[in-house]
Amino acid sequence: MLKSPHPLLKAQPLMPLPTSFPARFLALPALALGCALVANAFARQDRTLTWTGWVPPTAREAPALVTAHPEPGPTDPGPSTPGPANPGPGLPSHPRPLPTAGAQAPKPALASAPPALDAAARFPRSPSAVQREISSADAWDAYRLQVPFLDARRTAEFLEGHVQGAWSVPVWEAGPEARLTEFEARVNPQPQAPLVLYCGGGGCEDSHLLAAKLVALGYRNLLIYRDGYPDWTAQGRPTQRGARP
Amino acid sequence: MMALLRHPWLTVRTQFVLGAVFVLAAIPKILDPPGFAKAIWNYQLFPGWSLHPAALTLPWLELLCGLALCLGLWTRAATAWLTLLLLAFVAALSLNLARHHPVDCGCFQTQASAKVKSEAERLSDMRWVILRDLALLALAAQILIATRPSRSLTT
Repeated sequence: MLKSPHPLLKAQPLMPLPTSFPARFLALPALALGCALVANAFARQDRTLTWTGWVPPTAREAPALVTAHPEPGPTDPGPSTPGPANPGPGLPSHPRPLPTAGAQAPKPALASAPPALDAAARFPRSPSAVQREISSADAWDAYRLQVPFLDARRTAEFLEGHVQGAWSVPVWEAGPEARLTEFEARVNPQPQAPLVLYCGGGGCEDSHLLAAKLVALGYRNLLIYRDGYPDWTAQGRPTQRGARP
Repeated sequence: MMALLRHPWLTVRTQFVLGAVFVLAAIPKILDPPGFAKAIWNYQLFPGWSLHPAALTLPWLELLCGLALCLGLWTRAATAWLTLLLLAFVAALSLNLARHHPVDCGCFQTQASAKVKSEAERLSDMRWVILRDLALLALAAQILIATRPSRSLTT
């Protein structure tokens, strides 16, 4: 004797399922869109995107870059090859506070002398370019002169390690505007003051994309650390793990 | 030959392989839409406004079509979409190959490979990916042929 089928098996669908090829062909992207809407609404913030948020510029639309060749300032003794072991004359070896947790301090002895140069004097705004690439040595100078660093990499990469004291502004994740607002509220950077942007070095373009965004916000003195975080760690400079306090 | 191509034994296995490939390809992209958006941007072919919607929707379309093929549901519609996607992938890779612009495929992972490769190596990888996509296109063609409605039903 056959049992009657379960009531669920006899239930009718809420709406008729598509049976023709064109209806199924159109139903598949509609279902995908619905799934994407739901998934994006409930995903972690670093895994979400805004549907109509910031639109990254294409390479052709991005502003032209000028490689920085900073002129020696009046108090600058001239070209140097600063680094952790050789901070260079006129610059403090490490003016920033040492991290409390999760930090990897460089091996050389650290001093905390006040900066002998002003960051704006060392990195004056170029009238011809609002953003320019800087070398590893320039990035170290900027760090010791307390220039804010913005990390354009993904949040997960930032948490694994970043330049000590850097701010995370991942250009490919939702909400960079909120992070920039927090940065501006706590640092209060002036539009003409230098800002260092970096990402993963090499072929990484994220710092350039962040620069395009900051230019649109009115910043006019952006220094793009060309070799990025891999170079920073290779030079044994101060790094930090985890989120900012 | 046509009878062999339309043989159910072959079709079922082809459907499963093609579906599984797309399911596996979709999962990392669904888990990391920002990474996939960056991968699409690297192709430098698509307008900026389309990046985020494409990065959010395309992986789900791949997943649904892949699942449909594995389960044997809506086979023809799913295969038609996968064929279109594969043609788009081949075109995008070929255009970048033609202009010597190396890109990471972004097919099965959204992050660039940790291994630093030269431009020549990356261009060579792109050629292999195009060949792989052409092989997948052949699988899709077999399914489309096998599931083609018979003339007596269509007329």
